[in-house]
Amino acid sequence: MLHAAPSLVASAAGDHPGFLSPSGVEIAFLLVGLATLGAAVITVTTRQLVHAALWLVVALGGLAVEYLLLTAEFIAWVQVLIYVGSIVVLLLFGLMLTRAPIGRSPDADSGNRWVALGVALASAAALVWVVVDAFRTTWIDLDGPAQGSTRVTGAFLFRNWVLPFEALSVLLLAALVGAIVLSRKRDTETGTGTGKNTGTGKDTGTDVGTTSRTGPSGAPGKGEKR
Amino acid sequence: MPPIPGSGLAKGLAVTLRTMTKKTVTAQYPDTQPELPPRSRGVIGLFEENCTVCMLCARECPDWCIYIDSHKETSPPAAPGGRERSRNVLDRFAIDFSLCMYCGICIEVCPFDALFWSPEFEYAETDIHELTHERDKLREWMWTVPEPPALDPAAEEPKEIAAARKAADKLAAQRAKEQQEQQQQEKEQQEQQGEKGGNP
Amino acid sequence: MNDVLDVALRLAIVFVVFLVAPLLVGQTEHKVMAHMQGRLGPMYAGGFHGWAQLVADGVKFAQKEDVVPAAADRRVFQLAPAVALLPYLLVLAVIPLGPGDGAVGQLVDAGIFFVLAVMGIGVLGSLMAGWASANKFSLLGGLRTAAQLLSYELPMLLAAASVAMAAGTVSLTGILDAFAWWWLPWQIVGALVFFVAGLAELQRPPFDMPVADSEIIFGAYTEYTGLRFALFLLAEYAGIVILCALTTVLFLGGWHGPFGADGLGWLWTLLKTALLAFVVIWLRVSYPRLREDQLQKLAWTTLVPLALAQIALTGIVKVAIS
Repeated sequence: MLHAAPSLVASAAGDHPGFLSPSGVEIAFLLVGLATLGAAVITVTTRQLVHAALWLVVALGGLAVEYLLLTAEFIAWVQVLIYVGSIVVLLLFGLMLTRAPIGRSPDADSGNRWVALGVALASAAALVWVVVDAFRTTWIDLDGPAQGSTRVTGAFLFRNWVLPFEALSVLLLAALVGAIVLSRKRDTETGTGTGKNTGTGKDTGTDVGTTSRTGPSGAPGKGEKR
Repeated sequence: MPPIPGSGLAKGLAVTLRTMTKKTVTAQYPDTQPELPPRSRGVIGLFEENCTVCMLCARECPDWCIYIDSHKETSPPAAPGGRERSRNVLDRFAIDFSLCMYCGICIEVCPFDALFWSPEFEYAETDIHELTHERDKLREWMWTVPEPPALDPAAEEPKEIAAARKAADKLAAQRAKEQQEQQQQEKEQQEQQGEKGGNP
Repeated sequence: MNDVLDVALRLAIVFVVFLVAPLLVGQTEHKVMAHMQGRLGPMYAGGFHGWAQLVADGVKFAQKEDVVPAAADRRVFQLAPAVALLPYLLVLAVIPLGPGDGAVGQLVDAGIFFVLAVMGIGVLGSLMAGWASANKFSLLGGLRTAAQLLSYELPMLLAAASVAMAAGTVSLTGILDAFAWWWLPWQIVGALVFFVAGLAELQRPPFDMPVADSEIIFGAYTEYTGLRFALFLLAEYAGIVILCALTTVLFLGGWHGPFGADGLGWLWTLLKTALLAFVVIWLRVSYPRLREDQLQKLAWTTLVPLALAQIALTGIVKVAIS
């Protein structure tokens, strides 16, 4: 979907300039792509957890620059806003909350590296195949005015692709509701678990989100959760 | 009863804004000297002439921060055959202001009015040892001691003035009596002379 | 060649503003805060009412030793101040001062998105600093920063989206071109939400839980010394300038004013920005720090619903007048 925006305004196929004698923008595109790829590889190979998250920032930022070079300005900024500004912060928040040691953390390595590599390669191949198949003969005129402006993207998104967009939002809503339900369920479990204890049911009933509560200290409960 | 929601927030803003428009209370000390209240306890001054080395101040000091050295001097008897008089002479009088807690007990306790509060306060030093000030310094501070505040209009006369006046009155009375006696004597002499001259 | 010169000149001006405006805000804070507390504030540096206090501070910071804790992650630790500061420089380049092309560093089509996206990156600097310091207080500060950013980014975006809806564009100059005076009462709730959320994102009092000095020393910046610490401080004040300028542009009509010649629009922008900066300082002096749970509660139970209500109102009015 992200690649679709520039393709709308792509000029007609046929009279494309060819791969030889690239322009400056194309060279920049390639270099940034290489840097992004490098950052992505480091992200998955580094043995330091937080470094991986920070390299992910570089990779996502590189992607944003690629969008910019493809004159898809709006997509680029949304990329930065959502991924760098929120997703990575959420990721770092989670890491810091659980474990984020300075230095290497070899115990965080996955045992099935090769399977992961296989899955990654397969999905990459699928994506590349889809994109290449879809935009094989499409060229974007980079020298003209920006073609991925907000107006164009918006019109495209809400005229041609409204249904997938809405389906995606329903999916996200479902995820949101699911997350809330999950966290609430755990909470009621705690409530019933410590329900035998005197006076804790009222306490846990009001506190949404404090899932680790095991009843007040000094209560006769044995703390079933531990 | 809670008033309009947010009125507390507005009140907080109003307080700070009002304070901003008011005059500041900052004392720009090194540029302008502070106006100290009367009887400020800045430093202790020593009036050496009044000191009799009775050691009361050093003994009463809770911090033991007063150091006094002295020796005895004997002076020959005032009249031949009399007893020799001995007198304490002050050699050293020092106050360690790094220990002093400015309680003022030494000043209260001094029976001869040799110690005084001075409002002088700028005697900071870079070394703590230099805060032990010797008698010459204490004497310098003596000249910064302000005059005691005036008495209330209908107040009782101070004790020392009353005593001094009593002494002066007594002296004057004695003198007057002596004079009278002398005059009487002279009169008597004249009378005697007149008697003699009356019948030569 | 002329274009290059033009761009270079604009960037130079933006850079100078970037260096001077935070200092102005800082000096104003010194003085305003002092007078609000019945004090005088700095009086010596520079002679006249301590006008050069922050210059002196900068010189002092530059002379200090640059310490990196032994257990810290050196690279990340040293990189963090730059990550915190540079986004604000980028944002400043796109904020329009006056009408036309002449009064903006660089025109960006998706201005609101650019500004909000890049401002979000700045917080990454605090996170990096908090983690890389190898200090528990720093880590706590970083965590609080992250939690605060996550909860306040949403109302801020929603409030900005309301204006974008009203104007029918996400370009900052486009929004100002579409501005009319009655937007002020129309978008007032959004303006409040945006400003409050922005304050929280900058970790300014009363939302300065991540640097609560009575609990966690100075949060993510605890281990920083010298110039790097100064950069963090500069980032905070640059953030104030950006937030005030952005609120001015989005909600207060930027260069539009009740009177004044056409050429003096930039003066209106500066005036409104300065007024908002004063409000930022004023809030800092007036209110105590919010507790962490109060912070979250304010964001999720007050600001987000308010922002959503604002969007609904904007939509209704927009449909009604079109």
